[in-house]
Amino acid sequence: MKKILFIIAITFIAYSCEKSADSLSNPTSGNPTGAGGSMARFAIVGNYLYTVDKSDLKVFDLSNPAVPVFKRTVPVGFEIETIYPFKDKLFIGSTGMVHIFSIQDPSYPTKLSEAISPDVIRRCDPVVAKDTVAYATLRTNGECGGLQSILAVFDIRDITKPVQKNAIPVSEPHGLGYSGNTLYVCDKLAGLMVFDISQPYSPQLVKTIKDGDYIDVIPYGNVLICWVTTGMILYDISTPANPVHLTTIN
Amino acid sequence: MRFILLLLIVAAASCNSFTNGEMTPSQIQGYAPVYASASLYDSIAVQPAKTTVSAGKIYAFGSYIFQVDQQRGIHIVANGQSAAAQKIAFLKIPFCTEVAVKGNHLYANNLNDLVVFDITNPASPQLVNRLEDAFPAVTQLYPNVSDTYFECVDPDKGIVVGWERKTIINPKCRR
Repeated sequence: MKKILFIIAITFIAYSCEKSADSLSNPTSGNPTGAGGSMARFAIVGNYLYTVDKSDLKVFDLSNPAVPVFKRTVPVGFEIETIYPFKDKLFIGSTGMVHIFSIQDPSYPTKLSEAISPDVIRRCDPVVAKDTVAYATLRTNGECGGLQSILAVFDIRDITKPVQKNAIPVSEPHGLGYSGNTLYVCDKLAGLMVFDISQPYSPQLVKTIKDGDYIDVIPYGNVLICWVTTGMILYDISTPANPVHLTTIN
Repeated sequence: MRFILLLLIVAAASCNSFTNGEMTPSQIQGYAPVYASASLYDSIAVQPAKTTVSAGKIYAFGSYIFQVDQQRGIHIVANGQSAAAQKIAFLKIPFCTEVAVKGNHLYANNLNDLVVFDITNPASPQLVNRLEDAFPAVTQLYPNVSDTYFECVDPDKGIVVGWERKTIINPKCRR
């Protein structure tokens, strides 16, 4: 029995990465909701909590934060893995594709499209979204060792028709995130890979850090919070391309 | 001759064939499902900071960081923006896998219930609400490991919340 396991994480990034416009990574600006990682099943946008299970998206009204009010269930598909909010959209990753929902009416998500070459990518974990470039990590393991795991770069100016622009070999990638013009990719074998994405379609590996087994990252203001198998590691990313170890919490 | 015959009989008796004709081992390292026990699952408590067992998802909020300890609860870390970051408490929530924060409230799952905590004092979260069965049971039909034997899931025993690696006898399932 042949099995292929892919883990995809996708990060959408703007050409112009103005940190000031990125409230999620700026905890000092009074952002009331904080930030989750790229592999979450819970997401909060405004007064709504969105959750995904294997097949459905659920909507809860948090107008009274202590008393969530269930609003509705929206069927999505199969093998749903993650949810990532971006502006007035929800990116919902599954083993087959990314489902993109509009939350212009936040209580009533409506499906816009399904995206990202399902023939190439089997499992999608949208992470962060800014504009017109998507970064995806494609992981292979198990009995499908012949395939190369890659960091893929997509042009998503037409969100329904992503065009792959580049593919960079990686080992065993998991979550990813960005700060400014720096992309962080968690690779369980290689470590924390730091890419310069000032040329968005041509990420350049700047350095690789190996203080643990990295699973996901949350760039949060000047701190990069890394989920590692033993707990978490924090880095100062005042200079995004040069993470400086702050502490390890096990 | 009789001895060889006996060996053959013993060997045959110790093997069950799969429907696809594969032979099953009588005893092998594999995975057994861990079922949620209803009597245990809602024992929520605030406990002293403790070592992480099975690191899970992270949510950052202000100067605090919340990290799930998979199936166990949530570690609460203060001073999360500096080298002085440290755990200040552990919020025990059995079968917790998810966390999110808005304002003074933390949202998590307690198996398939949505639970809400007031974290005005982050070191001492107070349970303020529970939405029962907010999420359908996400049972696990197989361990997230390739090429292994495992004990087949028995839905009558409840929801599978994890897998334990152990010696299993006559496994009927494989992936």
